[in-house]
Amino acid sequence: MLVIVLENAPDRLRGRLAVWLLEVRAGVYVGDYSVKVREMIVQNIEEGLEDGNAVVLWSSPNETGFDFLTMGESRRIPKEMDGIKLISFLPDTSE
Amino acid sequence: MLPKLKPIAIKERFSLLFLEKGELDVVDGAFVIIDKTGVRSHIPVGGIACLMLEPGTRVSHAAVVLASRVGCLLIWVGEAGVRLYSAGQPGGARADRLLYQAKLALDDDLRRRVVRKMYEMRFNELLPDHYSVEQMRGMEAVRVKKMYQLFAQQYGIEWKGRSYDPEDWDSADVQNKCLSSATSCIYGVAEAAILAAGYSPAVGFIHTGKPRSFVYDIADLFKFETVVPLAFRIASEKHNNYERAVRLACRDAFRETRLLKKIIPTIEEVLSAGGIEIPDAPEESVPPAIPNERSIGDVGHRT
Repeated sequence: MLVIVLENAPDRLRGRLAVWLLEVRAGVYVGDYSVKVREMIVQNIEEGLEDGNAVVLWSSPNETGFDFLTMGESRRIPKEMDGIKLISFLPDTSE
Repeated sequence: MLPKLKPIAIKERFSLLFLEKGELDVVDGAFVIIDKTGVRSHIPVGGIACLMLEPGTRVSHAAVVLASRVGCLLIWVGEAGVRLYSAGQPGGARADRLLYQAKLALDDDLRRRVVRKMYEMRFNELLPDHYSVEQMRGMEAVRVKKMYQLFAQQYGIEWKGRSYDPEDWDSADVQNKCLSSATSCIYGVAEAAILAAGYSPAVGFIHTGKPRSFVYDIADLFKFETVVPLAFRIASEKHNNYERAVRLACRDAFRETRLLKKIIPTIEEVLSAGGIEIPDAPEESVPPAIPNERSIGDVGHRT
C-alpha cells in the first residue's frame, strides 16, 4: 500500500500523480506499487512540488507496519524516538 | 519541471478496465473520462495494462498520447468485447524481438518446437517426439471439447458445443456469451503483454492468419485455468448482466493466478523452446544517434 498526501501542490503535479494513483480526496493519493515505481513517483514529487509539501507512506515490514518520508516545508516534521518514527508538530511562527 | 513520463512494468499493473459512455481527455496531465453531465473520473492509466473502450466513448488526441506514453494499450471493442475494431500501439517496438519471433515462426523445425512447448504447458505432460503439429492439434481439440463438457457438468448446465455468430451476438446461448466475454478479457491482457515484451501480436505459431494470432496462442496457455471455468460458473448462476459479472470474475481470476506477473516470463519460455538466441544487430548496422533511455517499463515499451 502506498499513500501520498500533498498540500499546496501545483495542479500539474496533482494530475501527474493521478496517472498512477487514485486521488481519493483533494491531494490524497492511494495505490500499491513496488519500491522502484515508488522511487519514480517520489522523484516526480521532488521535481514538481515547488512551494508545496508532501508525505509519502508505504507498507513496510517493521514494527509499525509502515514507513514514510516527507518533502517540502511543513510544521509537522518526522522525529525518531527509540527507533520509532513519530511526528513533531512545530509551533506557529508565522506571526 | 516534472520528469518525463515513462511506462512501468506490466507485472505491477492491474489487468483491465472497461469504459463506456464518456469523453476521454487529459486534465492537468491526468487521464479522465468525462460523462455528459460533466462529471470527471480520473483513470490511473499508468497503472492499467489495457483499457477496453466500449461503444459510446470518444477519445481526444491528448488522451491517446498520454496512454501511449505510459504504455497502456487501448482496445476499441464492440458488444461485450467480442469484436476488436482497432488497437493503440504502446509497444512492439523492438526489431530484435520481432526478428527472433519471425525466425522461429518461419523455420518449420523451430516452429514445431515452439508449438510442442505450448501444448506441453497446456497438457502438463511431455509429448512423444514424433508427433506432428497436426497430431498435437488433434489431441488438443479432443481435450478442449472434453474440458468444456466437464465444466458444464460441474456447474450443472447444458452444453451444446462452442458456437457463436460474430455478426449476431444475441443469437448465442448464455454459456457461449459468457465464454466470449471472458476470452475477450484475457485476449486484451495477452495483447498488452505481448506488445510490452516487444513481440508482434500477429505472428502466431498454432494460430495464423489473424491480426491477433499470437495473442490467441498465448491466451490459450492460461485460458483453461482462469477464464473458462469462471465463464461456466457465471453462466450457471442468475445474473442481470452476465457480461459485467464475467468481467468482475475475470479480474479476480487474473489477480488470483498472478497472471500479469507470469505472462511475460511465459512468453519468453515458450519462445526459448526453439533453442535459438535473440539475434544481435549486424556488425555493420548503424546504432541510433541518440541512445535509448533507460526505463523501468518492459522492453517493448516506447520511452
